[in-house]
Amino acid sequence: MAAHWFETLTGPLSQKKQYRQDKARIDALPDPYGAAAKAMHRYITYFAAVTDGDTLVTMLGDLADLWERAAVDDTPVRDIVGDDPVEFAETFAQAYAGKQWIDKERARLVSAIDTATSAATGSASPDGTDPGTTGDGPRS
Amino acid sequence: MGKQMTEMLKGTLEGMVLAILATRPAYGYEITARLRDEGFADIVEGTVYALLVRIERRGLVDVEKVPSEKGPPRKVYTLNTAGTEYLDEFWKSWSFLAGRIEHLHETDHAQAEKES
Repeated sequence: MAAHWFETLTGPLSQKKQYRQDKARIDALPDPYGAAAKAMHRYITYFAAVTDGDTLVTMLGDLADLWERAAVDDTPVRDIVGDDPVEFAETFAQAYAGKQWIDKERARLVSAIDTATSAATGSASPDGTDPGTTGDGPRS
Repeated sequence: MGKQMTEMLKGTLEGMVLAILATRPAYGYEITARLRDEGFADIVEGTVYALLVRIERRGLVDVEKVPSEKGPPRKVYTLNTAGTEYLDEFWKSWSFLAGRIEHLHETDHAQAEKES
């Protein structure tokens, strides 16, 4: 299917459709699963700060799978999230290494350090030792 | 589960899950149950789910969706070639770490005995 001109402005329609479907699955969950899923979705949206649509859609779909399964199996919410919901939500979000707003700053830090260290090349290491030979190798 | 145990598990749970998958393909709940049988009674399903999402996205497992009677299809995870290589690497790192830490432990123990 050819992409329409407006999709270049708004992102693919299929992606939006998928997002709406998964959102509807979450909205249809019975409580306490619905409440837990919505709270988690809100948190990971803030935490992950993912900016690409594909990752956001995949994440929402996986979230819907997780909570639908829990609702069907009557798994207690605590058996899913554990004692620390923040820890759990962050671990979940970190699995999606999508594009994040922080990427630009990461690249900036890396290049700033590269520039700072390349200015200092040619000078010997302060104590004159070779770092490769000071380590303690495995003993038998 | 203690805070220290939680922190230590963060780096090792992935290898443990891959090791379980090396014996045979499994879905999320089976993996959690297996970990509990192995003595990790406090592992929750969500932690394993998040981990499976991660190893899937990194291409260490192949995933097959199997329809289930109720609810969404279950995902069955199979260790692939990349996953097998990753697991080999994990065991090497683990053996090194375990050996070095045990050595520190013995040194520490010997020192304490000398001082007493």
